[in-house]
Amino acid sequence: MAEVKLVHVAKAYENGPRVIRDATITVQDREFLVLVGPSGCGKSTLLRMIAGLEDITDGDLLIDGKRMNDVPPKDRDIAMVFQNYALYPHMTVYENMAFGLKLAGLPKDDIRQRVSRAAHLLEIDALLNRKPKDMSGGQRQRVAIGRAIVRNPKVFLFDEPLSNLDAKLRVQTRIELQKLHRELNATIIYVTHDQVEAMTLGDRIVVLRDGDVVQQDTPINLYNQPATQFVAGFIGTPPMNFVPGRLSETGPLHFTSKGGQVQIDLSNSQPEARLQAHRGKPITFGIRAEHLSEQPPAARSVHEQALAVEAVENMGNETLVYCPIDTGQLIARLPAGYATTFGQPIRLFWNLDKAHFFDAQTGQAI
Amino acid sequence: MKKQIPYWLVSPYLLYFAVFVAFPVAFSVVLTFHSWNIISPMTFVGLDNYRRLFSDRLFWQAIYNTLRFLLVHIPLQIVVALALAEFLNQKIRGQAFFRGAFFLPVIVSGVVVTILWQQLLGFNAGILNRGLTALSLPRVAWLEEPGIAMYAIALMATWKNVGLYVILFLVGLQTVPVQYYEAADMEGATAWQKFRYITLPMINPTIFMVVVLSTIGGFSLFIEPYIMTEGGPLNSTLSAVMYIYKQAFQYYHMGYSATLGFFFALLILGVVAIQKRYVEQEN
Repeated sequence: MAEVKLVHVAKAYENGPRVIRDATITVQDREFLVLVGPSGCGKSTLLRMIAGLEDITDGDLLIDGKRMNDVPPKDRDIAMVFQNYALYPHMTVYENMAFGLKLAGLPKDDIRQRVSRAAHLLEIDALLNRKPKDMSGGQRQRVAIGRAIVRNPKVFLFDEPLSNLDAKLRVQTRIELQKLHRELNATIIYVTHDQVEAMTLGDRIVVLRDGDVVQQDTPINLYNQPATQFVAGFIGTPPMNFVPGRLSETGPLHFTSKGGQVQIDLSNSQPEARLQAHRGKPITFGIRAEHLSEQPPAARSVHEQALAVEAVENMGNETLVYCPIDTGQLIARLPAGYATTFGQPIRLFWNLDKAHFFDAQTGQAI
Repeated sequence: MKKQIPYWLVSPYLLYFAVFVAFPVAFSVVLTFHSWNIISPMTFVGLDNYRRLFSDRLFWQAIYNTLRFLLVHIPLQIVVALALAEFLNQKIRGQAFFRGAFFLPVIVSGVVVTILWQQLLGFNAGILNRGLTALSLPRVAWLEEPGIAMYAIALMATWKNVGLYVILFLVGLQTVPVQYYEAADMEGATAWQKFRYITLPMINPTIFMVVVLSTIGGFSLFIEPYIMTEGGPLNSTLSAVMYIYKQAFQYYHMGYSATLGFFFALLILGVVAIQKRYVEQEN
């Protein structure tokens, strides 16, 4: 298997702006790395550059220490699963899976053996004589993965492979992909715009935005310690609550929201020390839905505030409560079965130990 | 009244169809059992015209000539059209110019093109032979040598019509999703392997359409030999349609000409049916 390294990689199309500005990423041997970001952030371009389907404008791509910038795709020992599977419609499943091996000039017996092993692993043995049009989306997806597996490549690339599947199948396939990663023991680079997919699949996640790598870390670190307001808002469902406002200039440290509705006393709180440098400056206060509760949490500092209730979503296992505030809306994740009377305010406890603060100008975490 | 509206709406076409298609076809079928020279009244001759057809050596030679033409014209048309379409499908400078240039002969009158090629293929002053002479090669009797004339016409007909098929192939090529080629790139396919295993099977319906259209077009070969060689030398470029035309409008054998036409239409139908079956099997 292999280590993939991108060193200051950039991509610009002819007469166009840079779609990838400066990406330095190391994918460890046998790691499952997820590239995630909103549409147009450059994640698919980055993957295609690794595959060799796009030229690299600047920087180096190294696989196992060997520079691969000018090596054609076939010689990179990489297999790719495309978003729409790209299965050849005129070939059967067997022919689709065997195509690359046939081109490589492998003996027929060897090809048969490899295809049947991959088919067995993916439980598509019974489909080998079918054509893509006679299969469901999920089955086609397996065949596309099978086509990658038979080549026994060093690195697997997945370009949003679950986006064409329905919600239920997506969850099921996610679990199967985790299993497959363990069984293949392979280096996998996976692109998605779905942060849930990223969180559940990745050993590590690289968050991209507008052609920049914003943060790369383990899923739990991204969730708990987002480096920017963008990452904080992108990772997690529901997204983190943000309250733009300002820190007091003098006196005991406190935060006031733009309209003045939210006033948080931060003196003697855990984040007080790091916030001192930002006194008097505009900042954004961030708190996740699960850190707003009805009962006082066991925390060093807690803010308590009564808020009106705008909407309630009963999810079965939890209840999401939407409260309007002067700068927008807060979402609180409360235990299942929570019931409210509309018009009655709810008293919420804010766990300030878990709060996040972002520079309002740069979006960087403080 | 409301129920009649659809019939009123299609009536103009039905009228056109009745006058220009149904009646002539029916009349031709009737004609095949008659002898008629336009002026005197028709006389019923039973199956005489059909009997004559099977023993008419010139007709069979015309069919043979037409098949000889098709044998060169169809493969040449497909290969050249596909090659040009592949060329135009690349990102090249002056793409719009080349597309227009290749299509131009299609819209130029067949008579004009034929006269132009007659000049090009001339034995003494033709530009092709001048080129051969310049290369110290012997001149070729393009239109005067019975063994060559039909192939020279096939070459010309291909030049005239290829633009249409280039456009058809170009449309076919552009419907092949780029991901298939990218997937093949990842698997190490060469340009030829991509063409052989992806492009060709994916544009199979277009190939079939081109084969059928050029078969039908080729079977109706008329203007080119009529103007260039008048069917000669030694009837070697006498096409089936030209022979049918001669029977009708030079010898006024309307009944016999209709019989030839009817038989010829069945022949085309048969060839196209075989082609269709072959392509379906391939798929």
